[in-house]
Amino acid sequence: MSQASLLSIAGLHAEAGGEPILRGLDLEIAAGEVHAVMGPNGAGKSTLANVLAGHPGFDVTAGAMTMAGEKLGDCTPEERARLGLFLAFQYPVEIPGVSNMEFLKAAVDAQAKHAERDAPSAVEFVRQAREAAAQLGLDAGFLKRGVNEGFSGGEKKRNEILQMLLLAPKLAVLDETDSGLDIDALKVVAEGINAFRSANNAVLLVTHYQRLLNHVVPDRVHVLAGGRIVRSGDHTLALTLEAEGYAWIDD
Amino acid sequence: MLGSTTDADALTRRLLAGKGAGYAPWRDLAHCRQVLAEAGLPQHRSEAWQHTNVGRWYRAVASDEHSPSAGTDEAALGTVTAPGDMQLARFADANTPPLAARQLGNAVDLHRHPLAAANALLLETGIAACVPAGVHDEPVCVGPLPGRFQHLLLVVAAGAEVELVEEPAGYAHRVVEVVVGEGARVAHRRRQGPSAGHECSLVAVQVAERGSYHLAQSCRGAALRRNDIDVTLAADAEATITGAWRLDERDHLDNQVTVRHAGPNGTSRQTYRGVASGQAQAALGGRIHIAAEADGTDAALSTKNLIAGDRAAVFAKPVLEIHASDVRCAHGATVGALDEAAIHYLRSRGIAEEAARDLLVRGFLREAVADPAGQALLELAA
Repeated sequence: MSQASLLSIAGLHAEAGGEPILRGLDLEIAAGEVHAVMGPNGAGKSTLANVLAGHPGFDVTAGAMTMAGEKLGDCTPEERARLGLFLAFQYPVEIPGVSNMEFLKAAVDAQAKHAERDAPSAVEFVRQAREAAAQLGLDAGFLKRGVNEGFSGGEKKRNEILQMLLLAPKLAVLDETDSGLDIDALKVVAEGINAFRSANNAVLLVTHYQRLLNHVVPDRVHVLAGGRIVRSGDHTLALTLEAEGYAWIDD
Repeated sequence: MLGSTTDADALTRRLLAGKGAGYAPWRDLAHCRQVLAEAGLPQHRSEAWQHTNVGRWYRAVASDEHSPSAGTDEAALGTVTAPGDMQLARFADANTPPLAARQLGNAVDLHRHPLAAANALLLETGIAACVPAGVHDEPVCVGPLPGRFQHLLLVVAAGAEVELVEEPAGYAHRVVEVVVGEGARVAHRRRQGPSAGHECSLVAVQVAERGSYHLAQSCRGAALRRNDIDVTLAADAEATITGAWRLDERDHLDNQVTVRHAGPNGTSRQTYRGVASGQAQAALGGRIHIAAEADGTDAALSTKNLIAGDRAAVFAKPVLEIHASDVRCAHGATVGALDEAAIHYLRSRGIAEEAARDLLVRGFLREAVADPAGQALLELAA
């Protein structure tokens, strides 16, 4: 394990409903880096994202995940978030009756309380939220609507990025955030991710396609297949995958 | 007292033997005794009371050992606030407005609600309010009243508009009787906060032609809480009944609501949303009764319930009784659980599990009760 690692995954095995999905996955991500995990359907990409966030539908059977020195396996989902882990969901959940603003404020307040810093005032928070929404091409009315309720696919994905910008996590895991986006929305989301990138945080992009990586250039690209990382390289690996597909993995 | 005697039987016997009826001597309460002699008081085994152990209420409220609560009905009159031009009086006063005296008890169907007969005989606080014609910006506000047996009568003149804000509480039986005149409009807000008490109430409402009655009731739980709501609509009259409730721990709440369409072309909407956590028990009986004369009725009832605790229980029962042929009548009832995916989503943003559940419950209630009066009341339920 490198000293600079923000996230370290070693020998991770995980299953869902007794079905093994991750089978000895290793991954190191340092602060300041953007990594992409690619792979064919069923390789375990979304499982990796969900296991990191502590989804109750998955069981870790072996291996370890360490973030900023803390063992994630010992933490509840909310504790992981408070450590600075953020998952942009592939399928964001609709919560009728709870406004986006109320939800965002509750999340920011909960994290501020844990970090023993002052939460932004209501006025300051509204200003920040409006600014972030405008950055993502969302009008102010968007914040008053029920969380993801009746949002288009693109709005849901942009709402995930909005949350990421407001929560300012140390590690953002984006699960298929590019799927279901038209080219304009893809650019807006990519701009959001690029604005978020800094020397102090890291991004893990989980994606089936290379197209997001034209706009967010990763430092490292990993190929996930059969529950393990089978190949790693720089951003040109994504172009190779785009050209050749995943069929070579079986060879 | 014989061991085999139920509390209901014992109280019925005491009332038939002449106890009570000392509060407003001008009232003729013979018919109350007659109803009790015929039907007796409700028992736990009565179908209408299957979800409420009424025996506990008799022991807590109606037994002779229970000492009367502090305060006098005269002082209570002073706690009621009302528009300046309204007539307020105690039933016990010699100067009870003749209009109130004429109306008192007319909206109450004693055969369906025999507890109201006991209430009349044992009455400790009776207040009548007569609202004259006109639009009244000041609401009528009624808080806790002294005495275990209470009756509030509101008579609203034709064309008048007024709001009634009511906060019942404690160990009591309260009758709220509302007489809505032709073309009059009454908005009734009922807030029932958390309580360790045992309380039963009856809201009996008569709406004259073209009148409208709008009830927004929000309830937390109590050790025992039973609300009977009975609204009768004349031709072209309208009622909306909106209820939201939230129960925790060992709370109990039983709402039994009936809207009767007695004349043609009436409209009614019943909307209920409730959440039960812990080991709480909630019951809702929602009835729509459409008389043979009530062609052109448009009635609907919807109840949605959330069970947020492994040992909580909700009994939701819509009942439609339709005797007319040309009517629109819709109903729907659902009982569901909290969305585990939504809980995980909130937790993944750093919100603790309990806070996440609370947020979802509030969202459910808020979503459910969309009108402004309901929204205001939800502050209590949420």
